[in-house]
Amino acid sequence: MASNLNQHHHHHHHPRINGQISPPPCPHLADFLSRNGSKPFLALQDCLRSKPPGGRAAIRRDPSEVPRCVSCGDSSRPRLYACVACAAVSCHAAPSPSSSHAAAHAASYPGHEIAVDVDRAELFCCACRDQVYDRDFDAAVVLFLSTSSTTSSSSLVPASKPENLRKRRRVDYCPWSPDIQERILVGNGSSRLDCESDQKPWGLRGLNNLGNTCFMSSVLQALLHTPPLRNYFLSDRHNRYYCQQKNAKNDNNNARLCLACDMDAMFSAVFSVGHAPYSPAKFLYSWWQYSANWASYDQQDAHEFFISMLDGIHEKVAEKDRCKSHSQGHGDCCIAHRVFSGILRSDVMCMACGFTSTTYDPCVDISLDLEPHQGVSGKAGPAKNHHSCNGNTDSKSSSESCGISSLIGCLDRFTRPERLGADQKFFCQQCQVRQESLKQMSIRKLPLVSCFHIKRFEHSPIRKMSRKVDRYLQFPFSLDMTPYLSSSILRGRFGNRIFPFDGDDADGSNEMSSEFELFAVVTHTGKLDCGHYVTYLRLSNQWYKCDDSWITQVNENTVRAAQGYMMFYVQKMLYYKVSEKQVS
Amino acid sequence: MSLPNEDNMSSHTQLASHFFEDLLDSIIVDVASECHRIARLGLDRNLEDEEEELRLSTQARVRAADPSNSSETNGKYVVDIFGQNHPSVAGEVFDCMNCRRSVTAGKFAPHLEKCMGKGRKARLKVTRSSTAAQNRHSRGSSVSSYSPYSNSTTNRLSNGTPGHDGEEYSNGTLEET
Repeated sequence: MASNLNQHHHHHHHPRINGQISPPPCPHLADFLSRNGSKPFLALQDCLRSKPPGGRAAIRRDPSEVPRCVSCGDSSRPRLYACVACAAVSCHAAPSPSSSHAAAHAASYPGHEIAVDVDRAELFCCACRDQVYDRDFDAAVVLFLSTSSTTSSSSLVPASKPENLRKRRRVDYCPWSPDIQERILVGNGSSRLDCESDQKPWGLRGLNNLGNTCFMSSVLQALLHTPPLRNYFLSDRHNRYYCQQKNAKNDNNNARLCLACDMDAMFSAVFSVGHAPYSPAKFLYSWWQYSANWASYDQQDAHEFFISMLDGIHEKVAEKDRCKSHSQGHGDCCIAHRVFSGILRSDVMCMACGFTSTTYDPCVDISLDLEPHQGVSGKAGPAKNHHSCNGNTDSKSSSESCGISSLIGCLDRFTRPERLGADQKFFCQQCQVRQESLKQMSIRKLPLVSCFHIKRFEHSPIRKMSRKVDRYLQFPFSLDMTPYLSSSILRGRFGNRIFPFDGDDADGSNEMSSEFELFAVVTHTGKLDCGHYVTYLRLSNQWYKCDDSWITQVNENTVRAAQGYMMFYVQKMLYYKVSEKQVS
Repeated sequence: MSLPNEDNMSSHTQLASHFFEDLLDSIIVDVASECHRIARLGLDRNLEDEEEELRLSTQARVRAADPSNSSETNGKYVVDIFGQNHPSVAGEVFDCMNCRRSVTAGKFAPHLEKCMGKGRKARLKVTRSSTAAQNRHSRGSSVSSYSPYSNSTTNRLSNGTPGHDGEEYSNGTLEET
């Protein structure tokens, strides 16, 4: 009963270069280009002007020029166009032909149809009376804007990418079937599992509550059905017998502790035949030993457990290879990072000079604030003074308009430019003083599996109390992360020009890997102190409720209406990357 | 209140009105030009899908609120999808890994806590230093123009925003517990 949203026509099916459609030129523009090439556009670079910080580009022959229409002398019209061929400035107004001196100019002089909006640096065809686009012109504008505010060019397109962002050749997914020899090999080396005719999805099993351990079992359920993680363990990529043997050789008792081994054991048990709920006792034991520094047993948070667990897998699996440092982003260190690790980009722009400093940070999930309570006291006013960088239009998400909190809304806010106030002045390398700044987050690299954590638990050390935010949050079953990518955010900052921004993939593969599907939701009901975690799993487009030992089937509406705490999304299309290691 | 017309307006008001209209026209063209570019370049968001998801959620919540539909959402289970029934305290019995004694699953955690000597005292939570990108800048620290990895040398799996309860309060300052 899945809603068929994806049948809707997507622009994404048009051919894209650098993630954008390159619109075909109108006949007049095409003609102009064939006669003059793009030199005239590049020559316009000398006339580009902008006001830092982040002001949009305008065209002025002289910085103090006041453009006037050559025909009527008017300088106040909202649209003034400078002919690219002869630099004559004309005004253009409403549909009536007589009010557009720009159109008249084009009609009088063949070859003079292409003009540029002097205030917005947009190309315009006066014959078609429509805005037109050219890659070379846009590139000139972007380069001008980036150098005018002396943004380090590395923030646009890093000269040297860190190891974790280096592209590897993609290999398209192709399904595999064993050949005859392989069948024999598999048959000889394994014991068959009986398939039931009434096939419930594999690996669907309750997890016994060991005493207030639903914080753990809820996350484990999600992980047991995280496709890349599940595939990893079921493909025997971490063999617990082999691992324990190796650890025994080291004769180190501590080394025997391996969360990945316990996960392996759990996968084996849960994906075997049988319906009885599984008791993750050994796992709890191992995890407690590992997280000896963590808070006491009493109040446990599912999200904290999740982070701790990934950390535990990383530490034990990546330990052996010392050259892999701890805070990696590329995910080559361990399966936990391979699956969940992404890279966030943070830009801080000085409001005085426009200089932008950029940093990258790995992350295994994204924690989002719920919106501040709508319609409350004066403080709720837009404290975020949205700086219209280059005229960036900020569209409100549909949900905000109707007053519902949504995941999309949270992501919008997460990537919105945020003014760092007077009390948070940032040291500008160019100005050499602390200045008020504008900060903006974006996602440089999406993980295979995106986990969104909603910050529903608020602790106030001042008032010494905590509270839980029960407000409903809408979350989609299909999620397109494109608007939150660094390339999209950067592009928006530079007026949505056609240009390869940091993160754009030449083969347009970004759009494929930006589409996600929801497969697990961890919910919390009840109060802060005595609540209960439940996980909803989506298997073969059917939703199941995993409430400790109890697995029941539910309608998708139940899931939509639930109070999401952690939402797990997986990339719709998983590519296989060409392995860098040679096969021995 | 009648619309101001040229006759009964002072020249000041006329001028002001004229400027206002010019500004308004200019802003309208700004928006039109930007939207035109976004649409033509295929950068617009899929609002239809977003709205559809929203509509489905609203519908779902209405259905969930309806008492006749509550069987799914209530905690009262009769049988699970395999036809099984489970007691409120898990009854499986196994040996504790620490002390080798026989334990019931549903009471394993409290047993283990005593067995491992962890104690029930609420200890100060050691937070993973979540000096995530979001926080770092708001502390006003100087940041290099390009750093692939975090400055922190401690074990850090940072969240996008400080994910840990109590680390960030609404005024944006970082408090460490």
